Amino acid sequence: MIIEQAKEVLKIEAQGILSLVDRVGPEFEKVVELVLAAKGRVILTGMGKSGLIARKIASTLNSTGTPSQFLHPAEAIHGDLGMVTRSDIVFAISNSGRTSEINTILPMLRKIGAKIIGFTGGIDSPMAQSCDVVLDVSVEREACPLGMAPTASTTAALAMGDALAVALINRRRFNQDDFRKFHPGGSLGERLSVRVKEVMLTGARVPMVPLGSTARRAIEEIDKKKIGATLVTEADYTLAGIISDGDLRRALLRREHIHRMGVEDIMSASPKTIDQNKTAAEALALMETYGITHLAIVDANHRVEGIVHLHDLLGRKDFRLDDGLNSTARTHR
Amino acid sequence: MTVSIPPQGLIVDLITPLRNDRTLDGRGLGRLLDYLLPRVDGLLVASPNAGEGTYLDSARRLELFEMALVVVRGRLPLLVWITQGTEEGTTETLLRLSKALERRRSYGGPVFWVDTPLYYHSNRGLPALYRDMCRMVDEPLILYNDPGLIKGLAKPMKRRDIRTAILKELVQLKQIVGLIFLGTLDRAHNYQRACRERKGFSIYDGDESHFLDHPSRSGVVSAGANAAPEAWKKITGSSLPTAAAPKSDPEYLQRVWDMGKYVQDLKDVYGPMPAPVIKEILAARGLIETATCAYPIEDTSAAKQKAAAWMARYDPEFTPTAPS
Repeated sequence: MIIEQAKEVLKIEAQGILSLVDRVGPEFEKVVELVLAAKGRVILTGMGKSGLIARKIASTLNSTGTPSQFLHPAEAIHGDLGMVTRSDIVFAISNSGRTSEINTILPMLRKIGAKIIGFTGGIDSPMAQSCDVVLDVSVEREACPLGMAPTASTTAALAMGDALAVALINRRRFNQDDFRKFHPGGSLGERLSVRVKEVMLTGARVPMVPLGSTARRAIEEIDKKKIGATLVTEADYTLAGIISDGDLRRALLRREHIHRMGVEDIMSASPKTIDQNKTAAEALALMETYGITHLAIVDANHRVEGIVHLHDLLGRKDFRLDDGLNSTARTHR
Repeated sequence: MTVSIPPQGLIVDLITPLRNDRTLDGRGLGRLLDYLLPRVDGLLVASPNAGEGTYLDSARRLELFEMALVVVRGRLPLLVWITQGTEEGTTETLLRLSKALERRRSYGGPVFWVDTPLYYHSNRGLPALYRDMCRMVDEPLILYNDPGLIKGLAKPMKRRDIRTAILKELVQLKQIVGLIFLGTLDRAHNYQRACRERKGFSIYDGDESHFLDHPSRSGVVSAGANAAPEAWKKITGSSLPTAAAPKSDPEYLQRVWDMGKYVQDLKDVYGPMPAPVIKEILAARGLIETATCAYPIEDTSAAKQKAAAWMARYDPEFTPTAPS
């Protein structure tokens, strides 16, 4: 019974968010453009649970490069309204649009000259009528018995806030450096800001076979080093090519007798490379661009220094650094 | 044609007051409506649930409707269940009621025709049926999905619910403005998805328990509101998105919680057949003349006992007093 009830609540909340999908339209774009054009900050306000949602959205916007601040509506009329300037954008959050504390401060905000955006389920409400743009965050059903606490409606407002933050990130082309700047302690930012040299495989851990080897030897090397590919090098370790699991698969599909073939018959010549001083984020972007999972690391003379796999960049458990980011390239089991 | 906006909030599933000889109790209906009108947002008459509509033929529904028009005088949206056992019967009832409304041009209030299509028609061809109906009358229509009602038919349709794909087609007709929904919550979610693109379409909870557990934004069709309109109004007011209630006030929340228990207990008392018990309560309060039902009940003592027990259980301050 309890599990069924929990599932029901989750379904209702999920539906609440899904129902927003069709309502994201020109108003949403207008909000994004207003925020981007604003010279001031984004001020978020809401009472009760909507206030908590406003705080969270403010935090998300701050983390993603949009300076934001929470304004408590009750404190606003006792002096905090002074934080708002005409260059600011105010987001007012109220499911009913009839929250008296919010509706009290809206005329004052309008007098200051700040633009007002409403997040509300009451699109005909007094609050909605006082806003420059209204985002409809209404939900068909609340999950809480007797509607005692807003549930699906606050979830929907929160999700709309996230949608806004992500849209702003993309419009501003928020990059990994920004993420690193605002998340010095965040694990994703931390991981993507490390240098390739800190996560790449080096020395004997690099799967490598010389030109002229048989395909069988390449397969044995791939199997032994367990990262799904091997580099092919000249005698002086100049990079000549790469053989991945995909290359082997394609050769098999061509019904070729790969055991009898040489590595040069199977390998992809001109494999993608990256400098060891580039960041993991840049390596990841390169992999995404070319749809690959390995990058060779070469020096100025195109000689192999190492190899990096997608999972190394994202922090695969097997490859996780045990001794912090200052270590040199880690060992490979 | 201007389509009226469907009501939002508490719609009472009105009982049909009858005298001992099973003729309509007009004075009782008047008293009951005078009592309910200030406390509810809409009225559903002759419903298949509390209104015993399945036992009311076309002529009696017409009589009931005309009485309701006289008392309501356009003050509240009036919803009328038009369904009969056949397509022809339903169409005939719809036309009779529509003509009666036309005769009262001065009425002025919004009227909605409520229909349970699967009671007499399969899913196949429903859009065509409703296109015809919409041509016949000017008033807006509200669908009524009740799998329990269809299950109880002597020859039930293969499907007991309106198919979601069919509903998606039906909501394209502007004259269909809402749906009273009984069934599983999973189906309710599917219906919501089907109607999402139609702005202003209302989906009411026809199952009071659903509304009490997970209130919908359009409102509820409540049989219990005949006997406990104040409590239901408070609960609906608290649940709807239009509410600006002080939800952080513990006393207010306690009050809503108590009201919820009160109406849930009432629902437990009348169960799936609300008319006998609710009529007993209303008759005991002097609002209607008798607790007579449209269908024969061999032993009314059980309903009497249940009603008396419920009325005795609660603090008098909760029990709304009938107007003198």
